[in-house]
Amino acid sequence: MSRLNSAGLVLEADVLVVGGGPAAAWAAIAAQERGATVVVADKGYLGTSGAYAASTSGHKVLPPISLLRDPVKFERYALGGYLAQHKWWDRLLEITYDRAPRIWEWGGYEIPAFDRSGSYRGLQGSETMRILRKVLLQRGIKILDQSPALELLVDEEGTVAGARGLQRQTDTSWTVRAGSTVLANGGVAWLSKALGCNTNTGDGALMAVEVGGELSGMEFSAHYSPAPKHSSVTKSAYYLYASYYDKEGNKIEGLNRNGHRSTSAIAKELLKGPVFVQLDKGTEKPETREMLRLMQPNFFAAFDKTGIDPFEQKWEITLLLEGTVRGTGGIRIADDECGTTVRGLYAAGDAASRELNCGGFTGGAGPNMTWAIGSGNIAGRAAADFARSLGRSSSRRNVRGAGSVGLEAVRPTEQTWDAASIVRGVQDEVFPYDKNIFRSEKTLLESLAKLEEFWKTIQGTPLQDTAQHFIRSREVAGLVATARWSYYAGLQRTETRGMHKRLDFPQTDPSQRHYLAVGGLDKLWTRPVPVAEEVVEVPEEKAKLQLA
Amino acid sequence: MIELVSESRCIQCDKCVKVCPTNVFDAVPGNNPVIARAEDCQTCFLCEAYCPADALYVDARAYEHSGLSEDDLLERNLFGAYRKNLGWAKGGNPIDSLKRIQELRELVGSPF
Repeated sequence: MSRLNSAGLVLEADVLVVGGGPAAAWAAIAAQERGATVVVADKGYLGTSGAYAASTSGHKVLPPISLLRDPVKFERYALGGYLAQHKWWDRLLEITYDRAPRIWEWGGYEIPAFDRSGSYRGLQGSETMRILRKVLLQRGIKILDQSPALELLVDEEGTVAGARGLQRQTDTSWTVRAGSTVLANGGVAWLSKALGCNTNTGDGALMAVEVGGELSGMEFSAHYSPAPKHSSVTKSAYYLYASYYDKEGNKIEGLNRNGHRSTSAIAKELLKGPVFVQLDKGTEKPETREMLRLMQPNFFAAFDKTGIDPFEQKWEITLLLEGTVRGTGGIRIADDECGTTVRGLYAAGDAASRELNCGGFTGGAGPNMTWAIGSGNIAGRAAADFARSLGRSSSRRNVRGAGSVGLEAVRPTEQTWDAASIVRGVQDEVFPYDKNIFRSEKTLLESLAKLEEFWKTIQGTPLQDTAQHFIRSREVAGLVATARWSYYAGLQRTETRGMHKRLDFPQTDPSQRHYLAVGGLDKLWTRPVPVAEEVVEVPEEKAKLQLA
Repeated sequence: MIELVSESRCIQCDKCVKVCPTNVFDAVPGNNPVIARAEDCQTCFLCEAYCPADALYVDARAYEHSGLSEDDLLERNLFGAYRKNLGWAKGGNPIDSLKRIQELRELVGSPF
C-alpha cells in the first residue's frame, strides 16, 4: 500500500469519473455542463481505452417516432428474457437522439441525413473518441491518462469520496477527493484479447463491492464472438455472409440462425473440431465487397495483415470471450439516476449492469452504445447534483482507502503469489465453452471451487516491486472476483434465460423473471430484485417490423 | 501483436507511449521508444492508427510474432495501411468513406 500512501498528485473536484471510454467521456461532459468541476482518471488513454475505440459499435439515432423506436425496443426483448425495461429504453433513446449528433458538430462535420430506417451511420469508434477527448480538454476537464484507479475513498459514513491510484508511467500515486464518483471503467473480458477488451479487468465491480455496493446480471456474462483464430478481431456482423466448413472442406449447416451467427451452435462445432469460414454468401458483387470494407476497416485489418482474402479463401475461426463487455452484468443501478446502492457512487457504461435495456442478451451492435451514451449522461448529471448537495464541506471529510485484496497482504505470506498463473487459472475456468456457454450445477460448482482457491491465494502478499506489478496484482483480484460472482449468480439462476444456458434447467422459469443482485467478498450472496415493469406484449405489427 | 517500431521512420514523438491503452511502450530519452511489454499488447491496432510517421506495425496474430521485417512490410504496403483506412492519413478524411458507403448501399443494399 505504500505506493498509494506516498505523497503524489492530489486533486479536488466535484465529480471524479473513472474510465476512458464513451460512457466516461459523456459522464464528464454532462457533469461539467451541470456546473461541476470534473477530473477523469483512466487506466489507459481516454481516446483508445476500452472496447468501443478499437471495435466501434453502431448506434441508432432515432427521432421520437414510435414506428422507428419501437422495433429497437422489441428487437431483443424476448431474447433478453423480458428483463429490459421500456421506460429505460425510452429515456436512453431520447438522450441518444439529443446528444449523439453533437459529436458530429464537435468534430466539425455536417450531421448526415437520416436514411430510410430513420437512423444514420456513426463514425468509427476511434474517431468518436478522438472528438470526445478534444471536447473534454477544450472545456478544461482534467484527464489523468495511464492512471488506473485502484481503490475508492470513503468517508466516516461510508459515502464514496473519490478514489486513488497510480500513474503507471511515472510510478507516482494520485488521489482525487471528490463529492461524487462515477465508475465508468468497463466490464470484464478476463484478458481474452477480444478487440479492445484487455483494459476491462472488472476493476469497477470490485471497487464497488468493496464499499458495500452490489452487482446484477453477472450470470449474463457468457458472451463470445467469433474471430479469425489467433487474432483479436471479434467483429461478428459479417458472419451473416459466412459459410462454415470443416477441415475437409465440407459445409457445416445450421451455424447461422435467422441471419445471425449462433454462438452456441458454433461452440458445439468447435468442441468437435476446427471450423473454417468464408464470406461467400451474397458477396459476389465487387460493390458489396467495397462497401463492407469501408464500413468496418478493423474487421479487414485481420485479413489484410495476414494476406487472406476473406471473400475468396477459408480461414479458421475461434470464439473469444467478451464477458460482461458485450454480455450484460455489472454494478447494480439502484435508482433512476444511475446511482448505486452506495451514497456518492454512480455507475455508467459497461461497468454498470446493462440489464435495463439489454436484459439477459447481448447489447452488441447498438444497444450497448445507446446505454453508454444514455447512462453516461444520466450518471454525470446526477453525480454533479449530488456533489452540489454536499456543499463545500465535502473536501474536509476524513477519508480512507477501501481497497484490500490484491492491493495489500490480507493474510501475509512469505512468498508473493504468481499473478500470471492465477490469470491462466481463471481463464481455464471462464474461457472453455463447455464450462461457460453450456452450464450445469456440476460444472459451476467445480469452477467455483477452483476460483475459491485462487481467491484464498490472492489474500496473500502481492508482488509490488514495480508499478506494473502493483497494478497487475490488483487487476488479478478483479478477474478472480468477477469470475466468482458470475458463476455464483449462474449457479443461483436455476433456469435458462438470455445468454445464461443451464443444461440441467433448459427451460425459462416464469417465476424467475427477476434480476439477481450478487455481492460479497469472502462470502458471496444473491438476492432476487423484481423487474419494475410488467412484461410488455410484443405487438404483431411490431414483430413484423423487426423482421422487415 | 506489436511487431516493431521502425528504426528509420520513427520521429521520437512518443505518441505511441502516450496512447497505448495497455502501456506496451516505454519512452527512451533521446531515442526511439521501445516495445517493453509486448505480451500486454491487446492487438487493437490503435497505436498504428495514431502514429504520425507510420512507423509502427501491429500484426493481426495476437499471440506470436509474425516475423515480418521492415522490408516485408514495405513490400506488402502494410506501414500506415490501417491509419489510411480510418481516414486518418494525411489528406484523408474520416467521413469520405461514409459518403461512398451511402452510394454503395443504394446500389447493392445493406443488411444494417
